[in-house]
Amino acid sequence: MAADSAVCVACHGPDGNSVNPAVPSLAAQPAQFLSTSLYMFREGNRKDPQMSPMAKGLSNADLNELGAYFSKQKAAPPRHKSSVENAAAGPGLAKKFNCSQCHGPALLGQQHIPRLAGQQYEYLGVQLRGFKAGTRADIDGNMTSAAQALTDKDIEVLVDYLAGLVAQ
Amino acid sequence: MNRVVAAAIAAAFAVPVMAQDKPAAAPPPSWQQGKPAALQESTLHPFAPHLTGRPAKDLPVDTLKVPAGFKVEVWADGIPEARSLALGDKGTVFVSNRNAKSVYAVLDKGGKREVKTLFTGLDAPNGIAFNKGTLYVAERGRITRHDGIEGKLDSPGEGKVVVDNLDPSRAAGHFWKFLAMGPDGKLYFNIGAPGNIVMPNYTQASIMRVDPANGVLETVARGVRNSVGFDWHPKTKELWFTNHGRDWLGDNSPNDTLHRVAAKTVPNFGYPFCHQGDTLDPEYGKNRSCAEFAKPALKLGAHIAPLGMRFYTGKMFPAEYQNNAFIAMHGSWNRTTKQGYNVMRVTFDEKGQPKMQPFVTGFMTDEKADPPMWGRPVDLLVMKDGSMLFSDDYNGIIYRVTYSK
Repeated sequence: MAADSAVCVACHGPDGNSVNPAVPSLAAQPAQFLSTSLYMFREGNRKDPQMSPMAKGLSNADLNELGAYFSKQKAAPPRHKSSVENAAAGPGLAKKFNCSQCHGPALLGQQHIPRLAGQQYEYLGVQLRGFKAGTRADIDGNMTSAAQALTDKDIEVLVDYLAGLVAQ
Repeated sequence: MNRVVAAAIAAAFAVPVMAQDKPAAAPPPSWQQGKPAALQESTLHPFAPHLTGRPAKDLPVDTLKVPAGFKVEVWADGIPEARSLALGDKGTVFVSNRNAKSVYAVLDKGGKREVKTLFTGLDAPNGIAFNKGTLYVAERGRITRHDGIEGKLDSPGEGKVVVDNLDPSRAAGHFWKFLAMGPDGKLYFNIGAPGNIVMPNYTQASIMRVDPANGVLETVARGVRNSVGFDWHPKTKELWFTNHGRDWLGDNSPNDTLHRVAAKTVPNFGYPFCHQGDTLDPEYGKNRSCAEFAKPALKLGAHIAPLGMRFYTGKMFPAEYQNNAFIAMHGSWNRTTKQGYNVMRVTFDEKGQPKMQPFVTGFMTDEKADPPMWGRPVDLLVMKDGSMLFSDDYNGIIYRVTYSK
């Protein structure tokens, strides 16, 4: 392919399964979510010191190819271990705060909506706090709105639960 | 103090909103607004377009169906989120979009299409119209003119403002615009409703027109929730437009509608009080009557999302297609069983009463799936040779429909 997935896996891990809690996994994410995220980095809607320059020179065809490639990679079992309490409380919170409504019953994502199950711990926390603060770019404001209802404690529990959840 | 006033004061003085008024800090997107408690767990959601476009070769284009003698084919792909279409005097096809903030020019070069990006970084430039050498672009808040555009496609420069400050609130709502040049030389555009079901202010939920010579605005129709397509009947010169009904009232209510604006009237079509001419809104319709509002010319179906609407005056299609209207249906999201995603043909009987039938079908693959379709028609354009183009913003593709005996 024109865009080299080897460049991506340097940070995002083998097959897009990240081993760095701050860097998201790309494997088994919906293709449209991946291409849309890259698009938002390229166009400047979403800003990140590492990703913005990476996305800069890529064509739409490159973004589609990268999205398709990583969407087809298998999700590795999560390295994060949720606490027993948070693993028990997580499903109730995911329902209460409407996570599963869009991200799907197993939180695997769909279309432009990402997989949360097994996503990296630190990355998830930064995204949710960013949505709550209104600083994380959002296609239509839905996540920014949804995050307003979360307390810091809710975010802690959700992130610990999601990061340890097996994608299946 | 009531909540609306409290929120308005908080916004005006930028004071932190009190804890008990917390949701006002980030209201839900307008598609979530007006969702009743009983549907809070609904998983229905709008479909996001593929903002990078999808190549036509990866899509089941050969499954599209048209009536006998017609043919549908891909005219151009790689035009992200292709929405509104306009035709230049020299044959340039102008294409605009909404989320992707751009306007493109497509040139037909010996059977191959060349796409040039004219403008980027605009504010939802959904509306475009071409007239006498000038391209007009309607963003959320303003309309600009670009004179002699076909002579400077490689360096279009800055446009001149026709009218500004059309979107003072900067809030969520149906504020991307459709734009068309009327037979009276005035530019017609919509200002939609500020949410799914919200009391509009006096400029919202309307169709307006502006005289490009002096920037003076006039209201053409009121009580219009969101129209994203209109045209003038070739014989009567009356304005016809499509309109989107509200969401979250169930699979079969209310209908999206087709409207006629009789000459010398400024009708009110009922939003937010009365839907489809005969159905009172459960909240805003209390103590009102649909009798006080103008009726739609045709009910099109619930949540089928009619967008572009154009009368056919070309010479290629059979004679019975003359002065028929075509409607591009974007298709439903707020319906458990999906429908729409077709180009429809509207015929008129001797009394001028419209009737609708399918024209291009095949984008929907499974009415229960999510997503149920692989493409979504948005706008239509009759070309000089009588063929008809239509755009698909889900994939960034423009298709061409032709006829031969």
